[in-house]
Amino acid sequence: MSEEIVIDDISSKSVSKDASISYIDSSAINNKSEVPDRRYSLWNFWICGLFLKVLLFPDYFSTDFDVHRNWLAITHNLPISEWYYENTSQWTLDYPPFFAYFEWFLSQFVPPVVKKDGCLDIVEVGQFGWPTVFFQRTTVIVSEILLYAVLQYYVNTTSKVRRSQSFIVATSIVVSPGFLIIDHIHFQYNGFLFAIFIASIVTARNGNYLWCAAFYSIALCFKHIFLYMAPCYFVFLLRAYVLNFEDFKFKSYKDLLFLVKWCHLLKLASIVIGVFSVCFAPFIFQMPQVLSRLFPFSRGLTHAYWAPNFWALYSFADKILSIIILRVPYIYTFITRFISSPLIPASVNEIRQRVQEASNNGSKGLVQDVIFTVLPQIPPKVTFILTIFYQILAVIPVLFDPSFKRFIGSLTLCGLASYLFGWHVHEKAILLVIIPFSFLVVLDRRLLVSFMLVSAAGYVSLFPLLYENADFALKCLYTFVWCVIYFFAIRKTTKLSSSVERRVFFMDRLAIIYICLLLPMVLGVQFFDVMKWKYPLFEKFEFLGLMTYSVYCSLGIIGSWVGISWLYNFDEPLWE
Amino acid sequence: MSSKKKGNKKSTHRKTGSSGKIVDSDELVNDPFYASPLYDFLAPFRPAGSQWMTHYVIIIFALIIRLAIGLGPYSGMNTPPMFGDFEAQRHWMEITQHLPLSEWYWFDLQYWGLDYPPLTAYHSYLLGRIGTFVFPDWFKLNDSRGYETDGIKTFMRLTVVLSDIIFYIPAVIYFTKWIGRHRNQSPVSQYIAAAAILFQPCLLLIDHGHFQYNSVMLGLTIYTINNLLDGFYSMAAVCFVWSICFKQMSLYYAPIFFAYLLSKSLFFPRWFNIPRFTGIAIATVLAFISAFGPLYVFGGGIPTLLQSVHRIFPFARGIFEDKVANFWCVGNLFIKFKQLYTPEQLQLYSLVLTVAGFIPAFIMSILYPRKHLLPYALTTCAFSFYLFSFQVHEKTILVPLLPVTLLYTSNDRNVLSFICWIGNVSLFTLWPLLKKDNLCLQYTTCFIMYNWLLGNFSFVTPRFLPRFLTPGPPVSTTDKDYRRRSLLPNNILWKIIICCSYIGMLAIHLGEMFVQPPKQYPDLWVILNCVVGFGCFVLFWLWGYYKLFTLRNKNIQSL
Repeated sequence: MSEEIVIDDISSKSVSKDASISYIDSSAINNKSEVPDRRYSLWNFWICGLFLKVLLFPDYFSTDFDVHRNWLAITHNLPISEWYYENTSQWTLDYPPFFAYFEWFLSQFVPPVVKKDGCLDIVEVGQFGWPTVFFQRTTVIVSEILLYAVLQYYVNTTSKVRRSQSFIVATSIVVSPGFLIIDHIHFQYNGFLFAIFIASIVTARNGNYLWCAAFYSIALCFKHIFLYMAPCYFVFLLRAYVLNFEDFKFKSYKDLLFLVKWCHLLKLASIVIGVFSVCFAPFIFQMPQVLSRLFPFSRGLTHAYWAPNFWALYSFADKILSIIILRVPYIYTFITRFISSPLIPASVNEIRQRVQEASNNGSKGLVQDVIFTVLPQIPPKVTFILTIFYQILAVIPVLFDPSFKRFIGSLTLCGLASYLFGWHVHEKAILLVIIPFSFLVVLDRRLLVSFMLVSAAGYVSLFPLLYENADFALKCLYTFVWCVIYFFAIRKTTKLSSSVERRVFFMDRLAIIYICLLLPMVLGVQFFDVMKWKYPLFEKFEFLGLMTYSVYCSLGIIGSWVGISWLYNFDEPLWE
Repeated sequence: MSSKKKGNKKSTHRKTGSSGKIVDSDELVNDPFYASPLYDFLAPFRPAGSQWMTHYVIIIFALIIRLAIGLGPYSGMNTPPMFGDFEAQRHWMEITQHLPLSEWYWFDLQYWGLDYPPLTAYHSYLLGRIGTFVFPDWFKLNDSRGYETDGIKTFMRLTVVLSDIIFYIPAVIYFTKWIGRHRNQSPVSQYIAAAAILFQPCLLLIDHGHFQYNSVMLGLTIYTINNLLDGFYSMAAVCFVWSICFKQMSLYYAPIFFAYLLSKSLFFPRWFNIPRFTGIAIATVLAFISAFGPLYVFGGGIPTLLQSVHRIFPFARGIFEDKVANFWCVGNLFIKFKQLYTPEQLQLYSLVLTVAGFIPAFIMSILYPRKHLLPYALTTCAFSFYLFSFQVHEKTILVPLLPVTLLYTSNDRNVLSFICWIGNVSLFTLWPLLKKDNLCLQYTTCFIMYNWLLGNFSFVTPRFLPRFLTPGPPVSTTDKDYRRRSLLPNNILWKIIICCSYIGMLAIHLGEMFVQPPKQYPDLWVILNCVVGFGCFVLFWLWGYYKLFTLRNKNIQSL
């Protein structure tokens, strides 16, 4: 003890002296390198996040909580051959096998108290209490450590010049309101899954293409939503790792053989096939069943309510048109002059009939299958064609220029394309856009406007997931402060790539106005939502709030997509 | 709390060369909280360009943490027939909504009769009006008793947050800014002080967990202090009277404010400053009239006034109710006061002890009415009340804790160590109450979080974790291994005392978790809690007096 005091006494004085001495040293060093050696640690962020997440334990959780509890039970109690056949509960296992293994792994750690609580019972509807909640919420927090580890690795392997930027990216992801809302309130394991996905991005940046392929395949075997990114990975790995254009001269078709680095191709293929076979081997004889669980095409175009994508605008236009046509039938006759029956219902009466049907189906916006009243129906085929088309547009530049910048840009665009045009898109999928975009945005400030649009609108569009009022203020404040801090921080640390500002100022202002207007939109919808307790009249318009959310947010996300597409395809200095 | 993320765009201070920069770096390293997590989070906001947002960021995170605590249970949740403080507050909103003023203090006194001064009633009335606008069923007269839904819980929680935003937070921010400005503190120090005060877990857990509106009373008290700092004496009197009229507990501060104002108007800086004296007197009377006037005019005159006063000071309720870490409860272990003396005698004794306890602080305030002494004088005075007066609740610790917490603006590591220590002890003494409310999770989280933020756990990172996980020094001139020491005073004796008290607290918690108390002492752990708390409070109270006397001729720089 007494020694410590002596040290204490001295240190207060000596620190100041040291500081001035080492100052001189460091300024000398600064002159040489200009970049001081600093450590960027996510430790504080993890601890801080931990506290908040623990405080959120008593908060609302969605049915996804019971889904994951049911999977714990299935994987714990049943032999592996029955995992994909079990259907006592409606929440059947519909993630790829790695996730099932993961659940099995977690179920090994269920303490007796939690077991007694009903955590591991295969029942139709889970009967559980506080211990189960505590346990499962803890597993989310613990599994999320991987995200911190991967991002810490990302920061540590960044060059010193860019390290503070990458630190901003890393922290913006670990404290993202998306993970807070979806994982720690709504309940899922996205933090953990995205950690693997991010690992593949980081390894791609570091040039470890085999690792990149391995991580991506693993991520895919955990959650097949990452399939959206497949074209991009395929082209990138093909071009950057397998093909060799360096001194390629076409003399005969035989030369094409030397274009391919066969050895690399072999390595890559064995890794990818290896991962997949480890994943699916136990299920080799039940593949049809597994696949039917993984890809349930029976679901409708839009999810429970509209994710803010292109189809939300489409449905909205349909609603508006049907109202207008029913009010002013003349418009219908006017339109039919230009287009005829298959594109538009045969008569006004048919429209009326469809509207009736839709309202009979009950709560609008909550139906599984959306029937459009005026506009043509959308079969899955159309959504696939659109998605693939825009994804191909996004990956073509990577074919010519397999740089990391391009790769990450095309990842973002692939995510956006599938989000905007995909079949049965869930609003949670916006993370697939925002996370790759975070890595991209620090490379050039001109991307910031686009990023601001998509992240603000994307995170706000997650709000309806938590429809309880208890956490309304919390999620709003958290998202707000995240946006303010990170938009500001990114703005401060990134540079413009070209000296001439080639931005359209009008669009910048418009984007800012749009983002600011998100606030009154959210508050207004909430106000009406609360008022419906007092005035049951408002209940009839319940879907109106959700529609406002998805239409308004989809405007932002589509705007962001247009912006980044423009920069991606037509702006040279940015990608040099 | 989560993630005060900031992106660390530090870069500015380091590019440099001029001698001014050296001073700057020195100052930073000498910041008392240098290299604590709080500092690491706030340091990126140092550049002048981003300073404007720092306070807002702190406030928003303070709100987020409040809301997160509010997700937990409240006192008396699902416990009919009487429920708890939450139901009391809701009930007051209900009766003030539907009854004329004259009946407020008379209505069904058995079921949470109104027993706070009129401003609380008006406050309840106002919030009740808003609540009725949102959903009338919440506050239906008589029918809404024990009304418990998520809706009303959220609404009530939000009203507390709203009261915080209006009364408490701006007062704290103004205070830290004022001190920072007058002592040339670095901006980061000011932010840290503000954050340390706003994140003080005792108030958070009582107001947002247990459910009360203490922040209004405490906020008004800070406004009083702010006005005294600025020299607006009449306004200070008004704020303080309102504070009393919100909750009578702030009478704990009354002797000091009285002495300070008296001394300022009669003796310092010149003798018999009659205009100032008259101003203060008139302001005080007007403030009281503004609080009690409506009760007199609309409430049926004198009888209602007397009834309200009678309700506010319930002398019939015994010298202490629950276990509380004060002289009477702890002394009761050895001397059975309640059997030896009549309640009247006890009232007299407690009065005598209390007065004896605060008289030195009172005299000091008359002789040395100085700004930097105010927190110490208020601390010692309020602690005398807490330790010796009649009818003290464990929650009342918030009152003496407020001036203590304001001392986070200090630059002296010794002072900060004491502040941090007593904050922890106070939180510890609240444990039985919070446990009753099922707020164990929130209690543990806040306890660890707060100490971690202030850097008391900073020893963990470089010693037990890989170096790259240690947050880098925010100033490039510091040693790589520089790490914050935990907040402990330099004096060896105090160090031992504080460490022992921490060990005792930990032992009591562990004991309570794993050891069943013997049959004849079912309350063993609670009583031990009170004993430890009482011991620490007395020591701290004495230390407060020591500081009060030694600082009397210093100035604000040595707060």
